[in-house]
Amino acid sequence: MNRRSYFKRILVLGALGGASFSIFKWKELTRQVDPVLLWSKKDLVAELSEIIIPETDTPGAKSANVADYIIKVLINCMDIKKQNKFCSGLELVESHSMRNYGKSFLNCSDQEKQTVFEYIANHSGFSYRILNRINKKIFGESFFITLKDLTIEGYCMSKPGATQGLAYDYIPGNFEACIKLKPNQKSWATK
Amino acid sequence: MYNSNKTKELNTYDAIVIGSGISGGWAAMELCKKGFKTLLLERGRNVEHIVDYPTANLNPWDFKYGLNNTLKDREADPVQSNTYNPSTKHFFVSDAEHPYIQEQPFDWVRGYQVGGRSLVWGRQCYRMSDLDFEANLKDGIAVDWPIRYKDLAPWYSYVESFIGVSGQKENLAHLPDGEFLPAMELNYIEKHLGDSIKKNEHNRLLTIARVANLTRGWDHRGPCQNRNLCERGCPFGGYFSSNSSTIPAAVATGNLTLRPFSIVTEILYDEQRQMAKGVRVIDTLSNEVYEFYSKILFINASTIATASLLLNSVSSRFPNGFGNDSEQVGHNLMDHHSSAGAYGVHDQFKDYYYKGRRPCGFLIPRYRNLKDGENLNFKRGYNIQGHGERMEWQDLSYNLNGFGKDFKKQLTTPGDWTVWMAGWGECLPYFENQITLDKIQKDKWGLPLVKIDFSFAENENKMMIDIQQTSAEMLEGAGFKDVEMFNYKKSGGSTVHEMGTARMGHDPRTSVLNKFNQMHNAKNVFITDGSAMTSSSCQNPSLTYMALTARACEFAYQQLKNGKL
Ligand SMILES: Cc1cc2nc3c(=O)[nH]c(=O)nc-3n(C[C@H](O)[C@H](O)[C@H](O)COP(=O)(O)OP(=O)(O)OC[C@H]3O[C@@H](n4cnc5c(N)ncnc54)[C@H](O)[C@@H]3O)c2cc1C
Ligand code: SF4
Repeated sequence: MNRRSYFKRILVLGALGGASFSIFKWKELTRQVDPVLLWSKKDLVAELSEIIIPETDTPGAKSANVADYIIKVLINCMDIKKQNKFCSGLELVESHSMRNYGKSFLNCSDQEKQTVFEYIANHSGFSYRILNRINKKIFGESFFITLKDLTIEGYCMSKPGATQGLAYDYIPGNFEACIKLKPNQKSWATK
Repeated sequence: MYNSNKTKELNTYDAIVIGSGISGGWAAMELCKKGFKTLLLERGRNVEHIVDYPTANLNPWDFKYGLNNTLKDREADPVQSNTYNPSTKHFFVSDAEHPYIQEQPFDWVRGYQVGGRSLVWGRQCYRMSDLDFEANLKDGIAVDWPIRYKDLAPWYSYVESFIGVSGQKENLAHLPDGEFLPAMELNYIEKHLGDSIKKNEHNRLLTIARVANLTRGWDHRGPCQNRNLCERGCPFGGYFSSNSSTIPAAVATGNLTLRPFSIVTEILYDEQRQMAKGVRVIDTLSNEVYEFYSKILFINASTIATASLLLNSVSSRFPNGFGNDSEQVGHNLMDHHSSAGAYGVHDQFKDYYYKGRRPCGFLIPRYRNLKDGENLNFKRGYNIQGHGERMEWQDLSYNLNGFGKDFKKQLTTPGDWTVWMAGWGECLPYFENQITLDKIQKDKWGLPLVKIDFSFAENENKMMIDIQQTSAEMLEGAGFKDVEMFNYKKSGGSTVHEMGTARMGHDPRTSVLNKFNQMHNAKNVFITDGSAMTSSSCQNPSLTYMALTARACEFAYQQLKNGKL
């Protein structure tokens, strides 16, 4: 791996270390999640990811099949605690829409979905993080943060996301150190 | 396991080189070019240039889990998985398969394959200077280096001219210029930081990193296409690795025999000649044991493996390990620290961007303790390595609030400029920092496990505080906001510059190698990997290993020619 992305990663991982989570009991967080259960929630995950990165003049999270990525990465790469928090988060989305609208999230109107989602985002413990504030443990790995991170990662690394949502330069050839930003210029998909 | 009964003649070469990484590749090439029939022994598999770079041309979406390591990987390889990701995993060992014992946390990052870690290295190439070679003598620390800059300078040039190093001449006594290909370019924010440093801090400067990436075609390789995926292996041969450069050159002479899957377990001693007679090898495919013989032997298994090989080679002459009369083998282990630094965000210059992925960052050469009497609370110094960039999705993911259309727009538009920088700091040679062999636990080939006992001490810790402060000052001086100092407190080994376990010195009573990397106690053995280092300086070390290797090969050649070996 490249040194700088290596160190950046450490920085991020290190910062994530200080998470605290109080709603769910520790015991529940140490049980392996059932992959079948998680896969059965794929439509819900897809809907949520599309709210974060909607289709505009460029593809959104759904057309980039981000839900698939999120679930695969969660099950295979994320620790069990995070997997469980994620599942509990999905339950919270469902119970919140049931309680408020009497129907499941997927059956809610766009406006209702938006309201539920805002509730979840605002109750994720903290909604604003700054990368460089690593000494002030304000990072966390709540359901919302995990969902958001994996949505962004899954989208920006997907083919539609990288090549249409962002600018992807497979083999740059040369390096131009200082260029004027063009109007509406997208940022690079890879470093 | 049985000792294969091949005839001795068949197994006899002019020279044997152990390990095919950065330094071993150089030894093999030089010896082959001098006409020696050379056997290159490598414990790992073969990695053929380009053919064996399976991930080199993959897109981000070709990886099933992105660049995330799986839980299984992290469990099996708790150390290596901190360095590898799915695009590079195949160039690192499995910790489960190759265990070692950490007396204190120490990351022993390894690549067991033809090419060693030359495939994945960061390619930073800096010369050492007399500030470094004289340091131990001046400070009364450890032992004096038996060489000075003038001894190595022509060999630095020789190596640079062969591998191709891009860089900018700066005319500094403590960071000598080299034979450079055209320099890569600094981007807008890096130039801005450089200008500010020049204005505010008169003894400091910021320059582009010196890297073994080819800014133009060189030796039938390159040029670099600015993809910044070097650690996957480069289909353009755009950077130096043993696989792209020295090994093919050695093969071309017709004098090389490359033998992968061959773990050297012991150096064999010849009582009569008081020299090494050869090596014992386990073939990892067949589990057979072989012996190979040669006139001279170059040990380039990398610092920790080299020391453990010496310690494992006991005889009545060397009860404490091969060539270990001084009892220094395994001791004085060093690694640079690179945990401390600072990060800042700049809210101007938003009209500028860059195109292409330059495979390096910038360097601020050492500025501490260049002269005597600076009254700092630590000895020696550090250089700063870093890079400037605009925030892209990887950073914005942590910085942007919200979701939806506007969020997406911001996420996909270049954000503020940032600079991340950290100090690569010298580590003093402490006798207590050492590797030993465990008396009981063995690996699957019956070899004793390596035990590593290493920690940074007060000098390094004080230096880290200074790094944070001076880094933050430079960023603030250049108008950065939200400047944050950090210290990742990474364990030893994680800079992957381990060195010092069979040091050079004048005196056979206190050192293992002489000024030509020749073993004091067995004149036909040469060690030219990191274990030879008498002090660590703060420069990334591999260029120095290469220069020492080429120089030692020439010396060995002359000695043989003159009948002295
Ligand atoms: C991510 C990363 C970034 C780096 N960046 C830089 C940088 O920018 N600049 C820099 O100067 N350095 C850098 N380094 C360090 C650099 O890779 C090492 O200094 C260099 O590879 C050491 O060369 P070597 O020949 O001693 O060992 P290696 O390249 O490690 O090669 C040793 C070889 O010996 C083989 N071997 C070991 N034991 C035995 C045995 N018993 N029998 C047979 N074969 C054996 C191994 O399999 C291996 O192939 C970096 C390293 C890493 C991992
Ligand atoms: S950045 Fe250059 S050297 Fe590195 S992989 Fe790309 S083309 Fe090759």
